Amino acid sequence: MYIRSKSRPSGRQMSTPVIRGLIVGLYTLYPVGCILQLLPESWGGGTALSVAGLIAVAASLMMFAVLAGSSLQRQAQEAESELDERERADRNKAAFYEHSVFSSAVLLGLIYIMLTTDMAEAGKLDLWRPSTGDHWNAIFWGLGLLSVTLPGAVLAFGKTPPDMD
Amino acid sequence: MVHNRLSVFRAERNLSRKDLAEQVGVNPQTIGYLERGDYAPSVELALKLAALFGVPVEQLFSLKPFAPLAASLKNQES
Repeated sequence: MYIRSKSRPSGRQMSTPVIRGLIVGLYTLYPVGCILQLLPESWGGGTALSVAGLIAVAASLMMFAVLAGSSLQRQAQEAESELDERERADRNKAAFYEHSVFSSAVLLGLIYIMLTTDMAEAGKLDLWRPSTGDHWNAIFWGLGLLSVTLPGAVLAFGKTPPDMD
Repeated sequence: MVHNRLSVFRAERNLSRKDLAEQVGVNPQTIGYLERGDYAPSVELALKLAALFGVPVEQLFSLKPFAPLAASLKNQES
């Protein structure tokens, strides 16, 4: 997902540390926010933590909104005809890593759910696993955010762009 | 790795990366990546750049490192 702007056709230019910081913030605040928000009362959850979680999720979404208009997100999501050969080559490399990371994350998540369900049904160990609509909602939107930001994240943590003269 | 003299030719013509990028139809950052040796251009882009500077492509790009400019001038003088 890339938000085009008429005033900045190449996307908003941001320094590499800022982009990396936004990506780390997004990938940290969203899951932490969801955990705080959905923590059951028996595990120490409550209104204060729920509000803190909501704020963390909102902050992560604001970071995503800033990233969505960046030049990096443009390179990751823009139509192929709008990119030059170096941008396309770097994006193709990033897509390979992105696919590996995303599919591994989904596979590990499914294995975890399968194992925890099996163990709980066998009465051995009752570890947490998604069970309510809110849990699945958080996972669904988290995976959605990951899928649209991961190619840009791979690019951001790759080569540092040259300084412009 | 592909070595190049792009920055030398660009400085000689007093072109900014943005100017050069516009003339060959790439992103200005791509010129920076090329100059830094972080990206090897396609044959098409190499030929476009060579044509722009009016030199054979092997004067601009090489598989072996170019001799330093000072050393080349010294050799020419002697």
